[in-house]
Amino acid sequence: MIAVYKKELKSYFYTPGAYIFMGAFLLIAGLLFSLQNVFAGDSNYAGFLSSLIFIFLLVVPILTMKLFTEEKRQKTDILLLSSPVSIIGIVLGKYLAAVTVFAATLLITMLYPLFLSFHGRMDWAQIWGTYIGFFFLGSAFIAIGTFLSEVAESQTSAAILTFCGLLASWIIDYIISFVPTSSMAGAIFILILAGAAIAVFQSKAQDWRISAAAAVIAIAAVCILYIVTPDMLYGLISKFIAWFSLTSRFQRFSMGILKLDAVIYYLSFSAFFLYVTGSRIENRRWS
Amino acid sequence: MIQVEHLTKKFGRIVAVDDISFRIKKGEIIGFLGPNGAGKSTTMNILTGCISASEGKALINGIDILEEPAKVKKMIGYLPENPPLYGEMTAKEFLHTVCDLKNIPKPVRKDEINRVMKRVGIVDVSGRLIRNLSKGYKQRVGLAQAMIGKPPIMILDEPTVGLDPGQIIGIRNLINDLGRDHTVILSSHILSEVQAVCERVMIIAKGKIIASDTPENLSQHLFGSNRLFVSVAAETAAVEKTVKSIPDIIEYQIEEGEEIGAVSVKMKAAENTDIRKAVFSAFAAANQPLLMMRPIDMSLEEIFLDLTSAEVEL
Repeated sequence: MIAVYKKELKSYFYTPGAYIFMGAFLLIAGLLFSLQNVFAGDSNYAGFLSSLIFIFLLVVPILTMKLFTEEKRQKTDILLLSSPVSIIGIVLGKYLAAVTVFAATLLITMLYPLFLSFHGRMDWAQIWGTYIGFFFLGSAFIAIGTFLSEVAESQTSAAILTFCGLLASWIIDYIISFVPTSSMAGAIFILILAGAAIAVFQSKAQDWRISAAAAVIAIAAVCILYIVTPDMLYGLISKFIAWFSLTSRFQRFSMGILKLDAVIYYLSFSAFFLYVTGSRIENRRWS
Repeated sequence: MIQVEHLTKKFGRIVAVDDISFRIKKGEIIGFLGPNGAGKSTTMNILTGCISASEGKALINGIDILEEPAKVKKMIGYLPENPPLYGEMTAKEFLHTVCDLKNIPKPVRKDEINRVMKRVGIVDVSGRLIRNLSKGYKQRVGLAQAMIGKPPIMILDEPTVGLDPGQIIGIRNLINDLGRDHTVILSSHILSEVQAVCERVMIIAKGKIIASDTPENLSQHLFGSNRLFVSVAAETAAVEKTVKSIPDIIEYQIEEGEEIGAVSVKMKAAENTDIRKAVFSAFAAANQPLLMMRPIDMSLEEIFLDLTSAEVEL
């Protein structure tokens, strides 16, 4: 894993990748900082960091788009696969290299609050909280990007896919307020999810009897739930969608609250995407 | 050393490798020969653990590649069809990265890289970006990559593709050299190459091994010296008459010869029959002077075409 990590980090700095990422991010961040904090004479640095999320969303694809697509194009994936490194090691090495470039960039922006601290009093707890939150949020973004880079065939498509994916996770918070919240809607939603799961099972296992039985059980279970405890189904869709909202969990960090559940959420979110990436590579070997 | 049993690989409905089994002893240089798409690269990819077999197993030194991939991968140096090179690195940096990947201990790393670079002859270009190197040098850097760590087995997929004749000879010598202390498997669709380097040839077509022997045996065993080429100073019609009078000849072909006034004849007798004496006496009796007579050695090329096209007819 360390070998892949070192190699990936090298190639970030041997190619324009890291410089474009850092340059673009720091340029916009610097501009925003000057306008929002310096010229306005505002010492609310955490607010500035929160507004950086959107910019970060724009530049993450630059960081992750080449992770796997470039290996595929140069046919160097064979080198990694034929060397004594595990697939999880490959994925993790690449992911951590991208996270390192991101963390280094974040470290540079720490000059800003340092600069502000000469001129006013800073709420350091809040700033540290926001930075930690930002780091975990960014790592989760990078995990999505890593996964999509494995899925895509070219750097361009990887970048576009990643951008759309991150944008979707960002607007989830807005979507939530528009989805229906009634118990009936929740019941229908569960049935749709169950239907999709059964369809996937059917296409893999090709066994009608089990699928039909599962469908009957699912319908019965939902009916019972609906009759016995309709409250449980209330607002289910928005709760479900909220699981995927990366940014909503960030809010607490920017208030200076370090909550373990949010950290675990981000870590497991990243772990999930890295796991899926690894199993996709593994699957490709078998098919 | 390498033991492959009933290996099959399917890509969806396409059977790329179809139930092949073979054994390779230590120190052998083996050539996989076959047309494009015959399953050579797929077999190599399975042996190196890049892809998994659908059925069957491959043992390297008695260890199953599926069970202990890391152990097996350490024993193999692999040069795929497209040498896997990071264009943004210099040759030396790239080899350092390969050392990292192969867990070569730090203290011996520098010596190892120097040894390999000297052996493939890339010391002069070691500081240049791989991206800017010529195809021949890229191929050599790829070969250097496979040699790092002295793996006992080298698997080379079309190692001389895209090289100029001088470079091809260089690589061949290198492979011959490697054969002294490595087991080498190489693939090619160029027959003369396999003939020049390999001790044993496996002809692969449509995912199956259709012949496996030394290059010499392949040309002799299968076709013997029952085919002759003669050049005769006589009229075509007269020569044809003489040829027809010789028993045992199954097939013949008469052409205007290159020399003026001469006719050249290619003839073929039944297997394991030596017709040289009969041919000589027949022409002598007809008073048609033989200017030249030589056996037609079937080249690997012909054997190959013969075997593979026979397969197609089936």
